[in-house]
Amino acid sequence: MSDDVEQRIQQIMADILHLEPQQISEQTAMDNTEAWDSANHISIVLALEDEFSISFDVVEIEAMTSYFDVVQAVAARI
Amino acid sequence: MTDRVTAPERARPMTEEEESRQSVLSHLRHGRTHEAVHAARMLLEQQPGRRTHRFLRDVVAATGALGSGLKHLKVALLSSFSIEFVHDSLVALSLLGGMRLEIYQSGFGTFRQELLDARSALYAWSPDVVVLAVEGEDWIPAAFSGYMDVAEGHFEKISSGFDAELSNLITAFRAQSAAPLLIHNLAFPGWRKLGILDPKLPHGQGRIINELNDALSAVARGATDVHVVDYAALVNRYGAVNWYDERMKHYAKAPIASPMQPHLSAEYIKYFSAFAALTKKCLVLDLDNALWGGVVGEDGMDGIQLGPNYPGSAFVAFQRFVLDLHRRGVILAIASKNNPADVDEVFSGHAFMVLKRQHFASLQIHWEPKSQSLVRIAQELSIGLEHMVFVDDNPVECDEIRRALPMVRVIQLPPQPERYVRVLEEAALFDTLSLSAEDRRRGELYRQRAKAEVARLSLTSVEDYYRDLAMDITIAPIDHVSMVRAAQLTQKTNQFNVTTRRYSEGEMAQRMIDPEWTTATIGVRDKFGDNGIVGIIMARENGESLDVDTFLLSCRVIGRTVETAMLAHICDEGRRRGLKAVTAGVIPSQKNAPARDVFERHGFAKLSEDDSGATSWRIELEAGGIEWPTWFRRLS
Repeated sequence: MSDDVEQRIQQIMADILHLEPQQISEQTAMDNTEAWDSANHISIVLALEDEFSISFDVVEIEAMTSYFDVVQAVAARI
Repeated sequence: MTDRVTAPERARPMTEEEESRQSVLSHLRHGRTHEAVHAARMLLEQQPGRRTHRFLRDVVAATGALGSGLKHLKVALLSSFSIEFVHDSLVALSLLGGMRLEIYQSGFGTFRQELLDARSALYAWSPDVVVLAVEGEDWIPAAFSGYMDVAEGHFEKISSGFDAELSNLITAFRAQSAAPLLIHNLAFPGWRKLGILDPKLPHGQGRIINELNDALSAVARGATDVHVVDYAALVNRYGAVNWYDERMKHYAKAPIASPMQPHLSAEYIKYFSAFAALTKKCLVLDLDNALWGGVVGEDGMDGIQLGPNYPGSAFVAFQRFVLDLHRRGVILAIASKNNPADVDEVFSGHAFMVLKRQHFASLQIHWEPKSQSLVRIAQELSIGLEHMVFVDDNPVECDEIRRALPMVRVIQLPPQPERYVRVLEEAALFDTLSLSAEDRRRGELYRQRAKAEVARLSLTSVEDYYRDLAMDITIAPIDHVSMVRAAQLTQKTNQFNVTTRRYSEGEMAQRMIDPEWTTATIGVRDKFGDNGIVGIIMARENGESLDVDTFLLSCRVIGRTVETAMLAHICDEGRRRGLKAVTAGVIPSQKNAPARDVFERHGFAKLSEDDSGATSWRIELEAGGIEWPTWFRRLS
């Protein structure tokens, strides 16, 4: 996983969750980030798919509940 | 979010994307609307896609009223599905169109309640525009997923209640809101339930959906400010297979695939632009490598690419597209750095030119900067620069316009001529909500106006203007040939008509041969062409004076002193008959204000005025009468 990919993921999540990219860490997760609700979750998924030209299955979408999971899911697809 | 974007202390240098983002924000903050819009467009070119849409939406929200140069529009979205994932692109692309959007989103599937309940949150929000986005599946399931459940003989029932419900919803809406209402029509499914059999059936699925759409169009036609979003055509354009995302349909009730959402936004924005009066009016085109391939100054008329084979065929297709815009009422102009003689040769001599010289309201063909050409076109046509679109293949020219005239929309053509049409189609700049016969002719009307305006601009005094028009005037007695037109003018002329007396051809015929009467038709030709018969005089000898009965002038030539020439002619006629004076009356009508002061302006003395405002006038011929303006050349 290159730094560049992680930076892009951070930027996307930061834009959608209204945070600084630096505030997105491996600890950032749905259950400790108020803005990360189900609608924003879909927005993050769609933005990632758009950014990396990938497509997730619903099982993957449901599994990415933290920044760590998101990075794993993206890495598995690119 | 605001602080994040402007955070001054950064450990690393800003990336190109961050710089572009910064540029959008800073322009918007300082009210430099056109620059902000351009920066946003550049950012989206660099970094297309959802995250840029999200960023731009946040910028619009954060700068709010600061973006005062943007038109503010409150848009309510009612839908049968989760349409909120469209918001980012809708706000972002509206910014590119010069608008600041605020969105009200109803919960999915609540559109009926929102429309029917006078106390709904929708009405409390008082939207400027309401969009009703309902998928056919959600509205008329029997025509979609439930089609096979419909029993033979019951197909009529599928569409029977549809127009009644639509009318009902529209009536309820109109009782609460005067906002324009956009309603999606129904898209066709990618696959028909009965497969290859469907198109042959009297009640095939495709046919039923067509009928539903026809019903919707009819209801919209009969209602006020209700418009149909041609969702069926939109889905067809990109294909149902691409349009829908079955995964998100089932998982998030969001059936429209993410990459398609900006297309839906763009479709809505065509309406928003029209509502906000942001539709462009004038298309200014380059010539070399725009209307034809190659450079006419170098390659010669026979060397340019324009004809039946590639790449000439692509230029022919583009010209055809531009001509169709012209017929929709878009005003065309040319800004080209060329020798006028070379261009003339192509216009008059090239067999494959679809566009003719007369389709263009203004031609700026010279070597001065194109920004000057655009300013001149704007002046000549009295069109705001913000309503102009500049199209050129040359990045240097495009850049010059962007810098000098940021309010002009610049479209740089791609290197492949076959892409020109689509680039302009996708820019969606000229959509209007109606099309009148006048619109179809507008380009022509502007061309005429431009010609007169050019003459006016380049001259210092009004007399120079009259002289420069090189007007020839022909005054002749009404005869059997001109009688028809003369009678017609008395019937139709309302503005410059002192008595508004209407005459038939028969009455004309009598006066023509009556020696007591003087009759005349006035023809005017100028350097732009022959205007034909534009004025009528009829006067009758009455004792010692010549009494004017009819004195009228077509509005085409008002403001050019033709009336002075006509009065001079009447004075000449009075003298020829050995009379002392010319007398005339003015009968005020609702429309003839432009004519009422004509005698006063020319030194007639007022004899009387009655209660109705009718006046009578007299001028002595011995005292000199009225002089001929020197700028007319008199022909007989």
